[in-house]
Amino acid sequence: MVENHSREDHETGGENKEKRPKFFINDHVDILIEILERLDGPSLCVAASVCRLWCTIARNDSLWENLCFRHVSPPPSSVRSVVLALGGYKRLYTGCVRPVRSRLGRVRRATWAGDEVQLSLSLFCVDYYERLGGSNSNGRLVEKSSPSSLMFLCKPVNV
Amino acid sequence: MVLYDSATIGGSCSGSSSSSSSSKPPPLQQRQQTQQDIDGFLAGAGYRVRSSELRKVAQRLERLETAMVNSPADLSQLASDTIHYNPSDLASWVDSLLSELTQPPTCPSEFIMDPVSNQTVVSDAWTTAEPHMPQVHQNISYEQQSLNNQLTVVPAMEEDSGIRLVHMLMTCAECVQRGDFSLATSCLEDMQGLLTRVNTVCGIGKVAGHFIDALSRRIFQGIGGGSVNGGSAYENELLYHHFYEACPYLKFAHFTANQAILEAFDGHDCVHVVDFNLMHGLQWPALIQALALRPGGPPLLRLTGIGPPSPDGRDSLREIGLRLAELARSVNVRFAFRGVAASRLEDVKPWMLQVNPKESVAVNSIMQLHRLLGSDPNRNSPIETVLSWIRSLNPKIMTVVEQEANHNQPGFLDRFTEALHYYSTMFDSLDACTVQPNKALAEIYIQREIANVVSCEGSARVERHEPLSKWRTRLSGAGFRPLHLGSNAYKQASMLLTLFSAEGYSVEENDGCLTLGWHSRPLIAASAWQAVSDGTADFPA
Repeated sequence: MVENHSREDHETGGENKEKRPKFFINDHVDILIEILERLDGPSLCVAASVCRLWCTIARNDSLWENLCFRHVSPPPSSVRSVVLALGGYKRLYTGCVRPVRSRLGRVRRATWAGDEVQLSLSLFCVDYYERLGGSNSNGRLVEKSSPSSLMFLCKPVNV
Repeated sequence: MVLYDSATIGGSCSGSSSSSSSSKPPPLQQRQQTQQDIDGFLAGAGYRVRSSELRKVAQRLERLETAMVNSPADLSQLASDTIHYNPSDLASWVDSLLSELTQPPTCPSEFIMDPVSNQTVVSDAWTTAEPHMPQVHQNISYEQQSLNNQLTVVPAMEEDSGIRLVHMLMTCAECVQRGDFSLATSCLEDMQGLLTRVNTVCGIGKVAGHFIDALSRRIFQGIGGGSVNGGSAYENELLYHHFYEACPYLKFAHFTANQAILEAFDGHDCVHVVDFNLMHGLQWPALIQALALRPGGPPLLRLTGIGPPSPDGRDSLREIGLRLAELARSVNVRFAFRGVAASRLEDVKPWMLQVNPKESVAVNSIMQLHRLLGSDPNRNSPIETVLSWIRSLNPKIMTVVEQEANHNQPGFLDRFTEALHYYSTMFDSLDACTVQPNKALAEIYIQREIANVVSCEGSARVERHEPLSKWRTRLSGAGFRPLHLGSNAYKQASMLLTLFSAEGYSVEENDGCLTLGWHSRPLIAASAWQAVSDGTADFPA
């Protein structure tokens, strides 16, 4: 619904362009951010392909932070520094929170909302650790270029 | 397991169920109204078959198919020498081919026959004494028997062979226990022949294949287990990693142990974790992250990782330590790592761990304690030695995760039977997980365990799994008392399992311990312990 809203704004903006537009969403970035904050993950990705401004805004990690903690009580402030250190909220959302939520969503249990994020964070951390790879150049551990501890969250591809 | 609950097995055994093959045309009643003699549907496809003969022709086609599947060598002969009737006259065509392929059976038509005694009888009737011929024999004789009843079941070769494989495995194991190696060897050959016509990609065929390998290793290479246990540390780590990814057992172990350790460390500022088998250190990132986010801030974390020494001068323990340190630095947790290289756990002495009296200690053992159960009469029991020095460290918590199986029984046949059930269940659960490229390596990991349980003895046999009840007795006797894994651990484990989209895993709570299993058969058990404090503890609590 919110998405249609933003599109409408854009369209009316385009329509009115011929006769001196009164409102063009891209002039009001704060409103745009408010709108984008309410989108879900796939919509946010779609929004990122609209234009360069939207792309820059959609890459802003705070939007994804809202997405991650949308349905849970606000997390302690220390979480942000940890998540940013481990790779950022967008990565956390797309890699862990979204698949975890969609899978657990089938077994809807109200008490799990906060724990879902906890579990996602833990899995995210393991993934970060794998991405670290080896620190020595002569060790065979360096071949960890494709972290695979989150593979079980991916949907199987029909070859 | 497939062989015991598939409905068609019951059908084929009794021979009286009336399911028909998919190629059979629709029921006779319908078409007898429309056509006189020649079947209309088949005529449309170019075949002339009398309606009255349809059932007979269908049965013979099934027999022809089984006969062709069983003796591919004869097919080439068929192609060159036989006079073929016009296939549009389906009935005569089938008959002509059948008469070429089969000969009237001379053996008594029993369903499951002792493979050894069967061989001597059959060698008179057949010119080639190939070991797999008796199987063809038995199937056709069985079919002839049931032909007298109503429609035959297409004997699903797979399930019949599956049951037969299991029986033969037990027979072979019994021979090995008795010491009758010549009989065991011929059993092995029969089984290997049978294996060629069973699907070895999944199900009983795959598991049976591994057990057959392990048995042949035991018979022909002895119980020293050189090739089984000779894998390099790098190989072992790689296989372990793929096992970690392919199925939830290790993840369950890590997350449950971490939760227990996290709760035990609540309120302590100086903590020390001793890991009995570091591998790639995959357990610890999650704990470091949880400690970083705990209310009150992270403690100073020290990790001592025990692992096998690396042969080529590379210090793999130190590399893992560096990675973990980098992670800890990113999330602002003060961290120190120490590696202890030891090829056997009983070689580790407590002074190597350098435990500070002021810190709280957690000992973490993921599937390591069972390796200490081999008893050598010349030395002290290694498990008692290790448990006593663990106790002397006075740990806040000791997390123990072990396979839930009884693979340490003295009798070989009992051990073999138990292992067959356990690993069949485990392979079933692995099959249900999403297909990944590393599943094959995970299977090799399990296969090595099987080989060790079945083909090794004495000090070479390290996979001495014992069930939770035995561990409880043992640990209580060594001066530990159980800690209940809380509801948080249970919740987390349930969530973790739901993430693995395979239906069938189950987490159960067993008197304070958690077990993860497949369809209510527990396969791995996690428990937590604390040293019972008495006045003689070395370090004050």
